[in-house]
This record gives sequence, structure tokens and C-alpha cells, in this order.
Amino acid sequence: MIELKDIFTIYDDDFMALDSINLEIKDGEFVSLVGPSGAGKSTLLRLMTRELKPSQGDVMIDGINIAELTTAQVPLLRRKIGTIFQDFKLLSRKSAFENVAFALEVSGAEPEEINEDVPKVLNIVGLTDKAKNFPHQLSGGEKQRLAIARALIHRPRILLADEPTGNLDMVNSYDVVKLLMKINEFGTTVILATHNREVVNAVGRRVISMEKGKIVRDQVEQGKYII
Amino acid sequence: MKKAFKRIFRSGWINFKRNSYLSFGTTGIMALVLLLFSGLMVLNYVSGQIVTGLEDKVDISVYFKNNASEDQVMAVEQDLEAQSDVASVTYISKDKALADFKTNHAGDALIQQSLAELADNPLQSSLNVKAKDSTQYASIVTFIEGNKLRSVIDKINFYENEAVINRVESISNGVGNYGLGITLVLAFIAVLVTFNTIRLTIYNQKNEIEIMRLVGGSNWHVKAPFLVEGGLYGIFAATIAIVIFYPTLWFVSSKVGVLIPGLSLLGYFGANFFQFVPLIFALGISLGVISSFIAIRRFLKV
Repeated sequence: MIELKDIFTIYDDDFMALDSINLEIKDGEFVSLVGPSGAGKSTLLRLMTRELKPSQGDVMIDGINIAELTTAQVPLLRRKIGTIFQDFKLLSRKSAFENVAFALEVSGAEPEEINEDVPKVLNIVGLTDKAKNFPHQLSGGEKQRLAIARALIHRPRILLADEPTGNLDMVNSYDVVKLLMKINEFGTTVILATHNREVVNAVGRRVISMEKGKIVRDQVEQGKYII
Repeated sequence: MKKAFKRIFRSGWINFKRNSYLSFGTTGIMALVLLLFSGLMVLNYVSGQIVTGLEDKVDISVYFKNNASEDQVMAVEQDLEAQSDVASVTYISKDKALADFKTNHAGDALIQQSLAELADNPLQSSLNVKAKDSTQYASIVTFIEGNKLRSVIDKINFYENEAVINRVESISNGVGNYGLGITLVLAFIAVLVTFNTIRLTIYNQKNEIEIMRLVGGSNWHVKAPFLVEGGLYGIFAATIAIVIFYPTLWFVSSKVGVLIPGLSLLGYFGANFFQFVPLIFALGISLGVISSFIAIRRFLKV
């Protein structure tokens, strides 16, 4: 369960990115976060990984106020949450296998566990034969699927996807969304920030519309892309 | 724990290898810095040797009148030896002085002839005094001047040597102070160059570091391989520096030996090989690790 209570986020240049946000996301939901660029979608996601702290208000995940976590506890939070970005954020000096393995290594996994789990996850996203390739040797769609594999390796309870289809064509976008829906079926909460109308309408689940830092519409079921 | 170390060293090594272009540059710069340090050590050694050599050559002689008895000379010698700032006193008797004079001028027929014609030994007995430190000669002379047997002393050649002694003293002080100052300044510049090179190398990977943090890497997990990488720069740089240093020393040593007789660079650095090599390695590794440690800190704030 994710709860956002009276959130305000003001950046250093006095830009108000989030303006009195109140939001509750239950376990296992698939939420599409829509709105034009600058509406505050990414800011909202970055609050949940403690990349940012809100200027005011509380971000609660499973009843814990994550603003109160110590620096040493932040990595533990991030291992519970998988994150996917528009620019993939892959480690360019590591191979596909190592990119996924790194996320496991940091949680202190044994080499045996790594050698067993990483191929499984690469298989789920269809990258088994690209395990030794480096990110620059992968196509856009493959990079994003690799990023999803990395996000999945911890079996996260929550998956945050920030414009995951932003750099992809229609076919690859569709693949990525199908993967996200499959992940959601296994019980992972998925929050998808996007301004891709087709993607949102294809998913057809809860849709939250944002504009200028505020939530302007919350369609709980069978949501469509409306701004 | 053992596995964690293995992972850290492995990924540090892989990072170093895959980064070969950058690693090559950084290692090269560090090797130059370590060579600079080695050069400074050579310079310090050479200048130290020169100053010691000069100081060794400085002494004063106390000449006694012909009517001074050997007992009186001995008494003065004992008084001098009791002084804490006197390093050594050598007694040269009239006979010894004559014998020395004869051997020094063995090839000079005219002098040999003149000596043979003399009935008496014209030379004076003397005490040769060496101070522990060249600054102490003035006070030793004052002590002799005040001695109860001053009346049998003919002359003290300090007054003729005073200018030379002062000059040696000022050179020795200059080398000590300026040498230390220059070494410190150069060492500081060397550390800055290394630090900046490593900082640029790490800055290049700042996105990677942020990503590692975002996928749940703890600070130490992200940092440790970079420290290993920094240490590897140091190890390779030290190896290169030593491989260049010793052959160069071998080449230069004979030439320096001609300029300053009795000085063997190769002998000194060869004898201290097992102190010098670990020192350069320790210097390289700590420069690399500490620079990495400081440089990476600011990218870990995500």
C-alpha cells in the first residue's frame, strides 16, 4: 500500500512540481499516471524511491514514512521497488547479464543464486541469447526489456515505470506494456507514468490524470487517456 | 565476507580492464608523479651527500709554538675532547708533520733538497679539530682562546678558514630548508595532479554510480570497486615507475660518480631496494585509493 498525504514538492528554483497531492494505491493495482510533460509524473515517482524528499507531506509505503529512512536504509527500500526509466539507465560498462546480476549482488546474494535467477529473468523478457551483449549492442526495445529484467530480479512488490515506451516504436512499446501487465498479474503493484495515449487505452485500468502538479482526474476502473 | 571481497576485487579489476583507455592515461600520469617523487629522493640524497662531504672537509688546526712540551699539547687535546661539540681531535706531532710533508712532496727535488739542508724540524706540532656541526667552530675557537695554555699556542687557522666554514654552513642550511620546501611543493602538486586525474575518471562514470544507487546499491557496495580500481592504478603506476627508475639510475650513476667522486646512486638505491620499492608501491596505492575515496563521495548522494 502506497499513501501520499498532502504532498508539496517545490524545486530550488521555486517551481512547484507537486501541489497538494493525496493518493492511495492498493497492493496489486495497475495505475497509469498520465499528463503532459512537466505535469509532475516523474517527480511523483521519484518521491517513492526517495530520490527526492517532499517539501511537505508524507510518503508512506507499507505504513513506513520513507522520509525518515536513514541513508543506510534507503538501499533496502530500493530493493523492494523495481524502477524502469525512459532512458533505460543501464550500466554501459556491464554486459546484460552483469546489469541484472548487479541488482542482486548489491543485496548480498550468493553467486549460486545469481547464476540461477539471472538467466530465468532474462528468459522472461526474451533476452537469453543476448546475455553477453553490452547495452550499446542492444536495440531500444531490448534495452528496455533488459531494464525490466533488472527491475524484476528482486521480485519487487512495486514496479515504477517512468515513460518506459518514450523511446520505443509501437511494436516494442506494446511488448513492454504486455510484460508490465504480466508482471502485474503475478501480484506486483505497477505504476506507469506515460503520455502515450494508445498504451494507456490498451491497458484499460485505473488512470490518474495530472496537470501542473495537481491530480485533476482519477478513473478507478476502465480508465481512458483524458486530459 | 570472503565472497564480498572477491566480488569487490573482481569488479574493480574488470572495471580497470574495460576502462583501459582511461586507465592507461591515469596510470601514466601516476607513474610520472611517482617518478617525480623518486627524482626528489635522488636529489635529496645527492645534495645531502655533497653537504656532508663538504662538512667533512672543514676543520680547524691549532698550531703550537716550538717551545710547547708534548704534555702541554696533550693537556689541550684532553680539554678539547671533553667538549661536547667536538667530534674528534687528532694530534700531529712535529715528526709526523715532517713525514707527511715529505711524502706529499716526494716528487719535488727542490723541496727534498732544502729539507735535507735544514738541521732542525721547522714544522710545528698541531691539533686537528673536527666539530660535530660546522656551526660550532666559533665556540670551539672561543674555548681554545680562553684555555690556560693559550700562551703555548701559536695560531689557530680558523680565522683563515672562517669564510669557507660560514659558506659551507649556509649552503648546508639552504639545501636543508629550500630542499624541503621544494620537495613539499612538488609533492603537493603531484598529489593534486593524481587526485584530479582520478576525479575525472570517476566523473566519467557518474551516471553509472547514480544508477547503482537507484537499483539499491549501498554506498560501500558502489564505492569499494572504485577504491580497488584506484589501488590498481597505483600498483601499475608504481611498477612502471620502478621499471623506468632503476635503468635510468644505472645509466646516470656512473656519470654522477665522475662529477662527485665517492657518490654511487646505484649503490645507495640498490642497497635500499627493499625499502625503496615498497615505499613507491605504498605511495602509489595510497594515492590511488585515497583520491578515489574523496572523488567518489560527491556522486553517492543520490
